[in-house]
Amino acid sequence: MDLIQLLLNGLSLGAVYALFALGYTLVFSVLGVINFSHGAVFTLGAYFTYLLIGGQAGANGLLAGLQLPFALPFALALPLAGLASALVALLIERVAFRPLRRRGADSLLALISSLGAGVILVNLIQLLMGAESYAIPIGTLGALPAALSLGGAQVRTVQVLLLAISVLLLVVLSVWLEGSRSGKALQAVSEDPVTAQLLGIDSDAMIRLAFGISGFLAGVSGGLVGLSVSIAGPYFGISYGLKALGVLVLGGLGSVPGAMLGGLIIGLAEAFVPAAWSGWKDAVAYGFLFLILVLRPQGLLGKPQTTKV
Amino acid sequence: MTAAHDLAAPSVPLLELRRLTVRYGAITALRGVDLSLQQGELVTLLGANGAGKSTTLRAISQLVRASAGSIHWRGADLAGRRPEATVKLGIGHCPEGRRVLARQSVASNLELGAWLRRDKAGIAADLERCYQLFPRLAERQRQLAGSLSGGEQQMLAIARSLMARPSLLLLDEPSLGLAPKLVAEVMGTLAELHRDGLTMLLVEQNANAALAIADRGLVLEAGAVRLAGTAQELLANAELRASYLGDGEGSGP
Repeated sequence: MDLIQLLLNGLSLGAVYALFALGYTLVFSVLGVINFSHGAVFTLGAYFTYLLIGGQAGANGLLAGLQLPFALPFALALPLAGLASALVALLIERVAFRPLRRRGADSLLALISSLGAGVILVNLIQLLMGAESYAIPIGTLGALPAALSLGGAQVRTVQVLLLAISVLLLVVLSVWLEGSRSGKALQAVSEDPVTAQLLGIDSDAMIRLAFGISGFLAGVSGGLVGLSVSIAGPYFGISYGLKALGVLVLGGLGSVPGAMLGGLIIGLAEAFVPAAWSGWKDAVAYGFLFLILVLRPQGLLGKPQTTKV
Repeated sequence: MTAAHDLAAPSVPLLELRRLTVRYGAITALRGVDLSLQQGELVTLLGANGAGKSTTLRAISQLVRASAGSIHWRGADLAGRRPEATVKLGIGHCPEGRRVLARQSVASNLELGAWLRRDKAGIAADLERCYQLFPRLAERQRQLAGSLSGGEQQMLAIARSLMARPSLLLLDEPSLGLAPKLVAEVMGTLAELHRDGLTMLLVEQNANAALAIADRGLVLEAGAVRLAGTAQELLANAELRASYLGDGEGSGP
């Protein structure tokens, strides 16, 4: 395989990991809890995308044979699937997080209840759509060719698209977080919730915002992966979820640039594993994680406390 | 009595604590504190560590719940409100230990101080006023707040609470950990805000500095009001001089 295609594989995979990890990061930064239902929302995003482009439910679920009366182009289906996923994430916040927060419960309990919400969601998908895998046909991209010529090399259009959309979202999110009032307010809640309250910032609203954006990112990355490598059944989000968790720890918990850098490193490391050893991909990715954590336990860009006494 | 008192003689005080009691589990931090603040007054709350000064401010901001007694703001009971809501009502709180947002710039800290306001022109004017009040903040607008010195962080914390344009400003030990020259500078700024008519409740351990600018003072001891009076009365009080003003025989604050 040529270098450019290999590089592109790594970059686009890394960008998806980064998008996924950013969803974890946003929620972690305002709540201090890893939201374990995130992988299920990613999976859901892929199924939403599949249904919205006019895909038909397989024979094994309750929805057997169901097909929406319309078929949207991918460019429309993807953001809509993202929005639907955001609504689901908000629902999860309402039922699995808020009641515990109201009672001042230990954050470990929220972690377990989010895991429960994730399992329910995945089982629900299996119940409705069956365990079979689905492919999002390339035809949904309209007139785009299947391969593009880039620097003399032939590359898959889907990879280019994946990379471009992920990078766009990462840039928009960074600009929003650093440059807008609400982005700064979200960071304030993350840094010091009590002070944020004394500034008049409604932390519940910021938590909902974090869940909404995180759900949108999960849904969109689910749709993109579905397009790129197909939807391998209702459990296909789990391995991505675990990998993104690794990315999160690698980059440094709660660090936005860290999540991006971590995604890139893991993505590239996986892509450069020779095809003959492809069974070792995960070992290489997690080996990297292990190595870096031994050398730098706070993650690559994880910050030690900077508050002055 | 201050001029504001005689002038308006309002029937309803701006803030009124009646028999305020706060418990943290088995510990009683406040035992029936009475306190009322008229528009335009600068009242200081003195006392040793653990006397209940910060708890009083935290109760007013609804960061801690009152176990008994009440807090009235312009005659309305504050019980059950969220802390964000007290900010909206006009109660600013400059917390103990400055609590600047270390990972954000000076300008962003000030911008977030005006989070609940939507009047762009007013916010810009107040920002300008803050930079005039604290020229050092103007020089450091783009720096991360965490990189400022302790004194600069205190100025930022005060400026940030002013950005909400509060009707009452609660200040929790603004002189803590500052060099004497900076204490004088911070107190000078508070005196200036007082002259401009801002109502303030100032918690301090530095009783000399606080009484020099306050209209009235209260001394808390073990969660109860031990002494209360005008600043002049308290400055002349022998007992207070011995325990808090640092000229007694070996019994410092």
